[in-house]
Amino acid sequence: MVEVIIPNDMWEEDLEGVIVTWIYKTGATVSEGDVLCEVMVEKSQSDLLAPATGILTIIEDAEAIVKRGQVIARIE
Amino acid sequence: MKPTAAQRKAMYSDIVRSREFDDRVLELYFADKMPVFDLAKGVIPGEIHSSHGQEPCAAGTMPHLTLEDTITSNHRPHHHAICRGLDLNKLAAELMGKKTGYCAGKGGHMHIYSVEHKFSCSGIIAEGMGPAAGVALANKMREQDGIAVSYMGEAAANQGAFHEVMNMAGVYTLPYICIIEDNNWGVSVSKKASTAIERNSERAASYGVYGEYVENNDCDLIFEAMSRCVDRARSGQGASILEIQTYRLKGHMHGDQMAYVPEEEVAAMKDCVIEYRNKLISEGVLTEKEAEEIVSQQKSEVDAAIQFGLDSPYPDPEDAFQNTYAGVSK
Amino acid sequence: MSSERTLTVARAGREAVMWEMQNDPSVFMLGEDVFAFGGVFGTADGLGEMFGPDRILDTPISETGFIGLATGAAMAGMRPIVELAFVDFIGVCYNAIVNLAAKHYYLSNGQVKVPMVLMLGSGGGYNNGAQHSQSLLASLAHMPGSVVVTPSNAYDAKGLMHSAIRSDDFVIYSGQKKVAGVGMLGTPIKTSMSVVPDEPYTIPFGVANIVQEGTDLTMVGVSWTVHQCIEAAERLQSEHNVSVEIIDPRTVVPLDRDAIFDSVKKTGKLLVADEDYQSFGFTGEVIASVVERDPSVLSCAPVRVANPDLNIPYSRPMELRVLPTADRIVEESKKMLGL
Repeated sequence: MVEVIIPNDMWEEDLEGVIVTWIYKTGATVSEGDVLCEVMVEKSQSDLLAPATGILTIIEDAEAIVKRGQVIARIE
Repeated sequence: MKPTAAQRKAMYSDIVRSREFDDRVLELYFADKMPVFDLAKGVIPGEIHSSHGQEPCAAGTMPHLTLEDTITSNHRPHHHAICRGLDLNKLAAELMGKKTGYCAGKGGHMHIYSVEHKFSCSGIIAEGMGPAAGVALANKMREQDGIAVSYMGEAAANQGAFHEVMNMAGVYTLPYICIIEDNNWGVSVSKKASTAIERNSERAASYGVYGEYVENNDCDLIFEAMSRCVDRARSGQGASILEIQTYRLKGHMHGDQMAYVPEEEVAAMKDCVIEYRNKLISEGVLTEKEAEEIVSQQKSEVDAAIQFGLDSPYPDPEDAFQNTYAGVSK
Repeated sequence: MSSERTLTVARAGREAVMWEMQNDPSVFMLGEDVFAFGGVFGTADGLGEMFGPDRILDTPISETGFIGLATGAAMAGMRPIVELAFVDFIGVCYNAIVNLAAKHYYLSNGQVKVPMVLMLGSGGGYNNGAQHSQSLLASLAHMPGSVVVTPSNAYDAKGLMHSAIRSDDFVIYSGQKKVAGVGMLGTPIKTSMSVVPDEPYTIPFGVANIVQEGTDLTMVGVSWTVHQCIEAAERLQSEHNVSVEIIDPRTVVPLDRDAIFDSVKKTGKLLVADEDYQSFGFTGEVIASVVERDPSVLSCAPVRVANPDLNIPYSRPMELRVLPTADRIVEESKKMLGL
């Protein structure tokens, strides 16, 4: 099992971000490197890539407020 | 690079050809619009902007251009088209709105296109510059040979497009030459009344491009100046502004009486057909007899072209619905 | 092999641009802030890194200049994609659009093709004021010589972008900013997102999409107003048991007049929603295309829900008043239906 975590270097200060949209649904098969979701902080948007290949389970849905280091999904 | 004797004769011949064409157009233009003048009447309707006097601007620059190079012309395109080598028949037919014209009657005098000559026109002042610079950009991106040249009047240098395009030509180091035919008049407004500097070629400095001014409508000097601009463009040194002092002998368009031009200025206007002929004869490049032969040869080709146009059919009105969209060929 | 993906309009359109650029060296992009910034609304996000500054070309703020250049490059056989962040800026380049790009093919009697795409960001609803919120759809669609594409969802955005780039015509790709689903305009409109295949595909111009079938009322929307129609239709269905058919023309030029007529023939009622100024616009054109063919298919007067010919006010309550929102569509529909 690999956790999908908002990387600590995704934004610099200790701000809160938001998950804009999930490209895959829970139960989807994803491959390492796929863009899993779009995350927005202030005015800029970043892609979060799948850290592993496997079945996705989303923990934090779209529009959820997230912090750096937070686990937002699992890949098994 | 100075022109050879053969090149000078060819330039003279081009000037004569363009002039003969414009003379015949002028004659036809008025023949059936009198006594009640109506732009919509006659075998050549609409506005006509003739090239009388400005022929050296095309005759002196075109010899440096190959069929790999692209030309955009303006609302006064006859000398450009003719010196580029476009077919006189198709040109005459297009002016008459005939089916056999370059654009089968869809374009007219200000919108002449010939793909094989990489030649197009735009009737909107200075707006031929963007497409020319765009072709230069495309050629540079594809590492293809071929430079691009746009022709316009001096008043066009006050258009926003001039500033935008020249700046980009400088930023991108484009193989592009902007030729400015300085006839001193933008319709009825003089260069002095519209332009804060004497020479638009000086504006080259503000775009980081090369600039040159040629005086006296002299075909040989134009040829030499153009060779410097073309060398720069072909060798990757970027864009140029070449401004040429010329004369607009017949006003902005046919029917313009030029009442706004001071009499002394009109009197001082020189006719390049006579000037260049005399120059070549006095320098022993051309004999009187050769000059006459050139005139009669060009006259007969122009007459034949005009006749071709007159004899050609009009397009079917329903042809207006053809070639509206290109679709997908890929 | 990964599962199916649900994409935003912006990402789907960009995916088509990326594929075309990878597969056709004549395709390149130019415009303001495309290389490092990825386009003001993310239309070129990541493309600069992928293709470099020679194919994702930053331009000066010179719209008539670079649209003119793009026209020339297209005439020379390239396939430029021009990015213009705001359609509101067409005032400074309308000549290059109307008199150059849209005219060369016809005036040259088909000799000169202009295979070029002009991407525009349109629309309001985010309090950006009167000069950054307009739709101006009619000003684009009115002139002959260009195709005008208006995707409302991700699937169409990708297919229409492939079609636009491969077309030999001048194509205006009008993207509504809120429909695009880019950060800084909130989270995406749910109904704008769709499952998008990995592989390239095209969608023909002039073929409408029937968003949902219905029997009581036909709604025609364009881009953002398609989603307002969807929301309004849901409310009408659940609150009043009204069955709405929604037509999304997908391209306004060419316009699928047959699909609209066929729908109205079935429902007898027509409401057209558009973000542009109402008079002389898309809404009137759609109604005319039904009435000209057979006015008897209408059981009541058709209705337009558009900007009531006002410059777009900045303040939120006033802007919401002039936008063709679901609320206004529901209200007008109820009047039509006698509810």
